[in-house]
Amino acid sequence: MAVCISVLGLAVAAMAFGAATRPERVAAQPGVQPQPAQAKARFFVEPTARPPIPIEALLAQIENHVRLEQAAAESFMEYPTPALLHSKTTSTFVN
Amino acid sequence: MTNGHPDLLKGLRAEQARDVLALGKRLVLSSGAELFPLGAPADALYVILRGRIRLTLPMQVRGGEEQVLVEERSPGQAVGWSALTPPYRFTLTATAPLETEVLALSRETLRAHFDAHPDAGLVVAMNLAAVIGERLQLFQTMWLREMQRTVELRCA
Repeated sequence: MAVCISVLGLAVAAMAFGAATRPERVAAQPGVQPQPAQAKARFFVEPTARPPIPIEALLAQIENHVRLEQAAAESFMEYPTPALLHSKTTSTFVN
Repeated sequence: MTNGHPDLLKGLRAEQARDVLALGKRLVLSSGAELFPLGAPADALYVILRGRIRLTLPMQVRGGEEQVLVEERSPGQAVGWSALTPPYRFTLTATAPLETEVLALSRETLRAHFDAHPDAGLVVAMNLAAVIGERLQLFQTMWLREMQRTVELRCA
């Protein structure tokens, strides 16, 4: 009998403790939406997205890059040195 | 072009070069015309007589497929040596950016001719090896330069 009363008391205490420590539910406010983090303005640079360059201009850049790289590779093949192999390109595609 | 002969025929005597050129069929491509597409069976080698040929590969750009220049070949140079090496499929697309004339030399015709004239066949085979070797070195160098840039970006 005493054991039963102890167990019952323990159960009631556990339920009371759980109710006291349960986090309060907050109803979602319909007007408030999570906002994406905005880019911080830098000192000289406005955080505006750059418009994509036209596809024709991009393809022209790629073609120019290929021509410059071929010329660089041909220079290396004529006189192979590490310096010529890793010479910097002026290609706007990668700079 | 070497001594008036296409690069593939350099080192041949004049009459040998003439005999090889006589095997070919002249084709005139209008501006923008395709000589061969990527993946097509390669049955003929082409020597450029005038004009220019652009060799391109497809690249995905902004979700669409675009032909990107890989090489440009000029008169005296040959394109389409896939016709002489298995599995005989073109690995690039060739187009003429302006009116261009080429000489088509079919693989079977060349093989029959070189069977009968092995000395000429040897010279042409050596020239072909030089063209392939040069292209391999060129693209190996270009690949390494791109890899170097990737390494620099990753380690920046």
